[in-house]
Amino acid sequence: MREAETGRGRSRLHAGSAAGLEPRTPVRPGPRAAVNRCAPRWPVRALPVRVDARRTCRVDLEFTAERYGPEVADGRLGRCSARVVFRHQKPRPAVNVTCTRFMETSRRRREDFLLYKRAKRLRAPLGATSIPDSHGWIDPSLRPIWDLALLGSSYVMWERTTQTLQYYMAQLSSVNQWKTNEDAIDFDYTVLLHEFSTQEIIPCRIHLVWYPGKPLKVKYHCQELHTAQEGSGTEEGSAVAPTQPNNF
Amino acid sequence: MQLDVTRKLGRRPTPRPLPQPPPPPPPPPRGLAGPAPFPLPQGRTGPATGHRVLLAPSLRVILRGLKAPPKARPGNPEQVFQARPLLAQQHVLGDRNLEGKQASEPLLVTALRTWMEKSLAQPRREVVEETGSPWQSLDTYSYTRYHPMEEIYQWMIQISEKYAGVATQHFLGMTYETRPMYYLKISQPSDNPKKIIWMDCGIHAREWIAPAFCQWFVKEILQNYKDNPRIGRFLRNLDFYVLPVLNIDGYIYTWTTDRLWRKSRSSHNNGTCFGTDLNRNFNVSWCSIGASKNCQDITFCGSGPVSEPETKAVSSFVESKKESIVCFLTMHSYGQLILTPYGYTKNKSSNHEELIQVGQKAANALKKKHGTNYRVGSSADILYATSGSSRDWARDIGIPFSYTFELRDNGTYGFILPAAQIQATCEETMEAVLSVLDDVYEKYWNSDSADKVTPATVVLGLLVSLVSIF
Repeated sequence: MREAETGRGRSRLHAGSAAGLEPRTPVRPGPRAAVNRCAPRWPVRALPVRVDARRTCRVDLEFTAERYGPEVADGRLGRCSARVVFRHQKPRPAVNVTCTRFMETSRRRREDFLLYKRAKRLRAPLGATSIPDSHGWIDPSLRPIWDLALLGSSYVMWERTTQTLQYYMAQLSSVNQWKTNEDAIDFDYTVLLHEFSTQEIIPCRIHLVWYPGKPLKVKYHCQELHTAQEGSGTEEGSAVAPTQPNNF
Repeated sequence: MQLDVTRKLGRRPTPRPLPQPPPPPPPPPRGLAGPAPFPLPQGRTGPATGHRVLLAPSLRVILRGLKAPPKARPGNPEQVFQARPLLAQQHVLGDRNLEGKQASEPLLVTALRTWMEKSLAQPRREVVEETGSPWQSLDTYSYTRYHPMEEIYQWMIQISEKYAGVATQHFLGMTYETRPMYYLKISQPSDNPKKIIWMDCGIHAREWIAPAFCQWFVKEILQNYKDNPRIGRFLRNLDFYVLPVLNIDGYIYTWTTDRLWRKSRSSHNNGTCFGTDLNRNFNVSWCSIGASKNCQDITFCGSGPVSEPETKAVSSFVESKKESIVCFLTMHSYGQLILTPYGYTKNKSSNHEELIQVGQKAANALKKKHGTNYRVGSSADILYATSGSSRDWARDIGIPFSYTFELRDNGTYGFILPAAQIQATCEETMEAVLSVLDDVYEKYWNSDSADKVTPATVVLGLLVSLVSIF
């Protein structure tokens, strides 16, 4: 059984570094050396960590990246090393990651385009349809929806992650809109994020627009259960610096 | 035996007076989709000695009063259960009570207790997500699918029937919504005193892989104890007590309403808020850290330590057997972790080193199966602070080997682990648990000889050798 590691999809890169990872190849950290006191208690392994006077927390990671999905036999793509810097327990750490080459650009473009074609042909079930269902089943025809939902969620999760808060996508709970009549995939959905240290489930409404080769656009609004803050934001692909948070 | 009637009836918001002549029991609800109603134990017989119970008239009066169905809870009009009239049951008793022990309680008291266990709270019909036809026999029960509570109840009965000499079903207590909690006791009859391994699953409702593992575990032990010497030797000196679903109300709620529900379904703040985190409700540093006094929070610790009937049921029972329990395993998901005490403090238990060593060995055995990585450590070190957990409580009342298992996965699917992974998860977890049992067994029973090395045999051995010298 191929190992399924952290569902974090840490594909968001520090602004200015190499282009963000494409859909279809989300990064999965693999096992490594022991965690220590600065690092949050995640399943991800980290190398020794620095805490300095300015109360930043730096975590150096090494992990393997692999494709996930039931149809993939050997999902291994390559190795990565990353430096994640948290400042003052704030969310949205700075992430600097370099990876060995996962696959040739042409192959990556081809796979993206295949996903795009499948997504365009797809008639998404609008309204509240849980993906996966309660038994963990995702219909293969609906798989692209879940993949894109996870991709959008990874942006949201990165924005919210702190030293002590870590997120996973628990379930796609409804598809509000799936538009493919123009060129891009325009996908509006609600996702349930699971925050590990509080064990809470946080519904987030996400709107993503994707066209292969172009930067992903993500807008989101998360419902906070009974703490004061509601969280929302807008993200663009890594070539563009984040804009002001924006409710929708 | 002191009959604690109120405890067995479970929690009620206000005390109910005994009703007068009861109305006839309502017919089972019709027209609900789904499997046939839970088979009511009509004419069921217990372990055989062939006597029929004759009841004193006074006892009959008490029983009539008890069997009138209670009011349906507000908001759950369909969830009225029926009690069955005692005389429809055949209770088979002889000089021994149903556990095969010399009866130390009067026959009539045993009859009442047995009746209450078997018939007082019938599990309800629930609308289940999958409307498959119910399986007929244990041979066709699928251990690689998730089962609704109704099917798990039925499975337990079938297990205790098929493996009647070695597996018995026992009543533990009632849930908040007055459902019966049953555990399976796996025990080979013998004269020597046994130590106990306790395993519970599903204290958190959404962690479906855990009850699936408990069922798998029972199946593995029962199918293999005769032919597999490793498992066979465990049963010489160990009894297994397995509680397949601890948080029954919550588990059912994840099938009918909210797949990601975690807590119980107890009502608070005048019915405006539901559920206690049962794994924050035990009486160990209760609500000091990593838990909330706010019912709306998912780690709500309850209105007080052991405030919840489910916690009370487990607590009372485990406490009563604590001298014999050597191993307390509580199964959760997800995270792929083997957790030792404590969550409420970073201090370590007196046997921490040993617990880590045994845990690491178990993680290694697990990884050999399918390559899955588990981490081992105290809850406070590698997970997060928690207070009131069952594992910490068990350790602090003296149970030496106390572990929380967090099963697959690591977040890809999380709580909603695909059923396609049940088999692999259960196989690897089985290796881990067997590894722990090996170590526990080695510690308490010398593996070289079949008998336990007791001080008596040592002294005898010394005397014999002394005598032979002179």
